[in-house]
Amino acid sequence: MTAPTRTGMLVASDLRVVSDAGPIVTGLDLAVSPGETVAIVGESGSGKSMTVKALLGLLPPGVRASGRLELAGGAGDLVVDLADPGTSWKRVRGSRIALLLQDPFTSLSPVHRCGEQIAWGIPRPGGRTARAGDRHGTREHVTRLLGEVGLPADVAGKYPFQLSGGMRQRVALAAALAAGPDLLIADEPTTALDVTTQHEVLELVAGLQRGRDMGLILITHDLRLARSRADRVLVMYAGRLVEEGTAAEVLGDPAHPYTARLAACDPPLTHRLAVLPTIPGSVPAPSSVVAECAFAARCEFAIPACRTAEPPLIEVAPADPALAEATGGRRTACLRSEVVRTIEHVGESAAEPAAAGIPAEAAASPLLTVRGLTKRFHGSAVPALDGVDLEVTAGESVAVVGESGSGKTTLARCVVGLERPDAGDVDFHAGSGARGAALARRVQIVFQDPYSALNPGLTVGTCLAEALAAAGRPKSEVAGLLTLVGLPEGYARRRPRALSGGERQRVAIARALAPRPELLVCDESVSALDVSVQAQVLNLLSDLRRELGLTMLFITHDLAVARQIADRVYVMRGGRVVESGPVDDVLGAPEHEYTRRLLASIPQ
Amino acid sequence: MAFRRTAPRLPRRRTPVVMIVSVVLLGFVGFCAAAWEVVVPHALDQDIYLGVVGGGVEGHPFGTDQLGRDILQLSLAGARSALVGPIVVAVGSMVIGVLLGMVAGYRGGIVDMLAGRYADLLLALPAVLLAIVVAGMVGRGYWVTVGVLIVLFSPSDVRLVRGAVIEQMPRPYIESARVLGIRPSRIMFRHIAPNIVPIVVANLLLNVAFALVALSSLSYLGLGVPPGAPDWGRQLADGRELLGDNPLAAVIPGILIIVTATAVNLLGDWLSETLDRRAVAA
Amino acid sequence: MNRPVLAFALRRLGATLLLLLALSLLVFALMYLSPGDVARNMLGTRNVTPEALAEIRARYHLDEPFLTQYWLWVSQAVTGDFGTSIRTGGPVGPLMLSRTGITAATAGLAFLLSALVGIPVGIVAAVRRGRPLDRLLVGVSVVGVSAPGFAVGLLLLYVFALGLGWFPIYGTGDGFLDGLWHLVLPAVALALGLGAFVVKLTRAAVVRELDQDYVTFARGRGLPESAVLRIVLRNAAIPIVTSLGLMVAYLFGGTVLIEVTFALPGLGALMEESVLFKDVPVVQALTLVVAFVVSVTALVVDLSYLLIDPRVRARTVRTRAVRG
Repeated sequence: MTAPTRTGMLVASDLRVVSDAGPIVTGLDLAVSPGETVAIVGESGSGKSMTVKALLGLLPPGVRASGRLELAGGAGDLVVDLADPGTSWKRVRGSRIALLLQDPFTSLSPVHRCGEQIAWGIPRPGGRTARAGDRHGTREHVTRLLGEVGLPADVAGKYPFQLSGGMRQRVALAAALAAGPDLLIADEPTTALDVTTQHEVLELVAGLQRGRDMGLILITHDLRLARSRADRVLVMYAGRLVEEGTAAEVLGDPAHPYTARLAACDPPLTHRLAVLPTIPGSVPAPSSVVAECAFAARCEFAIPACRTAEPPLIEVAPADPALAEATGGRRTACLRSEVVRTIEHVGESAAEPAAAGIPAEAAASPLLTVRGLTKRFHGSAVPALDGVDLEVTAGESVAVVGESGSGKTTLARCVVGLERPDAGDVDFHAGSGARGAALARRVQIVFQDPYSALNPGLTVGTCLAEALAAAGRPKSEVAGLLTLVGLPEGYARRRPRALSGGERQRVAIARALAPRPELLVCDESVSALDVSVQAQVLNLLSDLRRELGLTMLFITHDLAVARQIADRVYVMRGGRVVESGPVDDVLGAPEHEYTRRLLASIPQ
Repeated sequence: MAFRRTAPRLPRRRTPVVMIVSVVLLGFVGFCAAAWEVVVPHALDQDIYLGVVGGGVEGHPFGTDQLGRDILQLSLAGARSALVGPIVVAVGSMVIGVLLGMVAGYRGGIVDMLAGRYADLLLALPAVLLAIVVAGMVGRGYWVTVGVLIVLFSPSDVRLVRGAVIEQMPRPYIESARVLGIRPSRIMFRHIAPNIVPIVVANLLLNVAFALVALSSLSYLGLGVPPGAPDWGRQLADGRELLGDNPLAAVIPGILIIVTATAVNLLGDWLSETLDRRAVAA
Repeated sequence: MNRPVLAFALRRLGATLLLLLALSLLVFALMYLSPGDVARNMLGTRNVTPEALAEIRARYHLDEPFLTQYWLWVSQAVTGDFGTSIRTGGPVGPLMLSRTGITAATAGLAFLLSALVGIPVGIVAAVRRGRPLDRLLVGVSVVGVSAPGFAVGLLLLYVFALGLGWFPIYGTGDGFLDGLWHLVLPAVALALGLGAFVVKLTRAAVVRELDQDYVTFARGRGLPESAVLRIVLRNAAIPIVTSLGLMVAYLFGGTVLIEVTFALPGLGALMEESVLFKDVPVVQALTLVVAFVVSVTALVVDLSYLLIDPRVRARTVRTRAVRG
């Protein structure tokens, strides 16, 4: 049983990555054929980014790789020993493998013109010395590359800061393709982009790949993206490869419980689930897993054998035997894969569509009314908010969706009083006009980033006690708050750094609940979390809503999240509300052209 | 549910040997500064008849100055003015920096504007030069000079603290505290202040080193300690005239200034790196 | 030059003039408030009679209100008339002019030395970050930052002039080459602390740029290390140019001590003599000139951002990203 080497233009065998603190990737085989798209899927800490950095010799200081990399292509065959510090990466990078990074805002040099940056990568025919001579040829080449990525020639004379995120990512793509690589590695290439731009960039990459018969390794945390774009999928967990096979097979008929669970956690766009399936706990550090299945602690199928040795990666029969020949190895590292596969779509047993839930008794009284809200930031040409009207009824959950620059975050900040609007009203209970401490008891906010949500110097208990004290409540309620958000009471003594991202976000929610607010504003509160943890927090928010009769205003860029959490939804663009209504209507049968475009851009 | 602790482990780094040496050295200098009267009780004894002699003379390993004072003992006694003044300067200017910088950073508006202009004005001139002018014109004396340096050092501390506060302000935990209705004074001292301690402490040490250099420069020009008092800058000024007879009279205090300031600087750099690493891991 | 750039330049120029005005007021106030009777000081050891004092007061407008005195002083100063030195009895302007050459030569030499050595050393240290060479260079630069110029100067004199006899001990020498030879030790003493400062700042700037994503991206598409370094340096140029501007201010503090140590008759030495003699007009004039040079340097540095950094060029039309 060898790694598939049929027409592999890139074959990596026994790839390992180790840092001073312990292993990061513990042995992985990978092969890519010309024109093929291989997605490496995993949550944070899975080792997926380090894997591709190792393939290019770009590991940060203190991190070392080992293994063997074989490259085939027009320029002849090449074998690289990844452990050899003297490797000449000149022959590999650029012409054979090129890398596209996540953030287009930082991956280009800010002080060089785009054309210049693309030109750097163009190989010069007469070696490096022939520079001045073919300036005209270079310019033509740059124009051609810009054309390939769908940009006009005058972009060559612009600086990155003069371009939008999507255009920058196109420039970066042109730069990556300048030396005509056989293989492109794209590390979360669209995560930093808006959903409509994401779609355009991915279409572009797919087109270029076809035209150049180029291999593509797509690193992503997004299962939907992997399913819609990849031929084959590799699922990584805690530095290990746990499953691989064709995209349709792996994601349609998962053989590893982690893959199955992960697929189930991803909230559907089409309907609301009463309870989202979750994976309990969080991803362990690769170094803390010794002689056991890394997933065993979170696995419902685990048997004692899972905890005595790490299960090997073994071939499993494809669901459709006819496909076996064409697609190559379908492999998984699970002793219980037979059982996993017999259970149809794990978790979805609990996934009955929920009744759209506007609590009947609450329908009457509006809790929050926003009228004609306008805000322009100093020095900005366009207003952040341009006359926004919004109403939230007591007990209701309302989502505000939009892309970056839509003004949704500014709206949230105006509602909680962190930003002062230029014009318009924010009223609670239609006109009581509460301010200051009185306002604080009625509306609270949970932010996006769990890692800066809590003061690193204070214990969880101190943090909650302080929030309680500010609202005039006794310290003794700390334990109750922790229980409320599903954390053990003992967590009061911990400091934030001892908590995972999901746990920190739970504490942030508990803190916001301390003054018993009527309205909870969630500003992208689950966007920074891994999908399995995101599902946990979304479930928690639904539970809280039910138990406490909480009203929620949920700011998000993710329509699927809005689908799960909201009764009604507002779609914002450029500081205005373009469409609003019950979530089933707006997302099911959108009326505004922009909403339709948003929905169409989501990978299916 | 099984919750895991995911505390990022810091790879424990060994304290570098240079740091240990620096701390020991500063400990010794500090001890001399605190109690030179006990360590070298005869440091100020003059021997006019002996006058200046070179190093290696019996009882005077580094020789004497023109008043016949022993260079070694005088240098040890000079530790006091080399440490006390700079520490007062660093602490004093940092107190101003923390008070003004925190208010300016937190409140913004007119306070911030005024603090900013004050810093601009004083930073437009080289501190050492301005200290020479002010100390020379206002009056001479060690504590006057120390006071002048406090004022001249404070603007950069105000900027430092203000910048650190402004960097903290948009953090979610500060904004959450504001939305919770927690009092501004409490936010400032409970949430902001502890997080700027590392940068303040590290900068305090760097300021001590800089103040040591500045203060001994002023003493060297005769604007610090009175004539005859034990002080390294003063010794250098005196030693300049004796380069032919006993070069050690200038070399020894010169080396002491450099070594002491280097030790403080190294400690400050190391501390700020260590605290940075901690902050990242938190 | 387009309109916003011009507006930016004019705004910075205006701010510089305002700052200079405030500084001149500060300098004048400081002297005005300094203890001791200026008139009595001016008479020195001559017979102090009430008539003589009155005459001096009238001649130097010492009885006028503060603002009038300030106005008289500053309006003459802009024409180059800084009044009369108390110590020499001659006009301050020519006195300063006669001392400028030696200071400019020493400071210029020190500036060149520290920039030409400091920047490359800082780059090398950054590229070799964490390696033994980097540790060594950083260690040396910490010593350099910690060493006051006069202490270094005396040590250099001891070793190279007295001990080895390679350089002269004091004085300025005759002719160009001899003069240069006399300035080597002072310039080196001045440049050491300065150079160390440049090393620290350059290293920090280059290290920060080396950590950026665009470096990973550039390497990832096969650019040779030399090309990557060129890109990094272009980005690090902004903080490095800033540090060169700060050096100018630092130079003026150091030059007083160096000139005293090496007995060079420059502006620094003039400052020291005048401060010790409480020669108020000279001190005022010198301080104002230093403030002028430092402010103009800051202005030049700011304007140079327009050339180095396209973002600054664009920000002159101030746009800020809208919050999402």
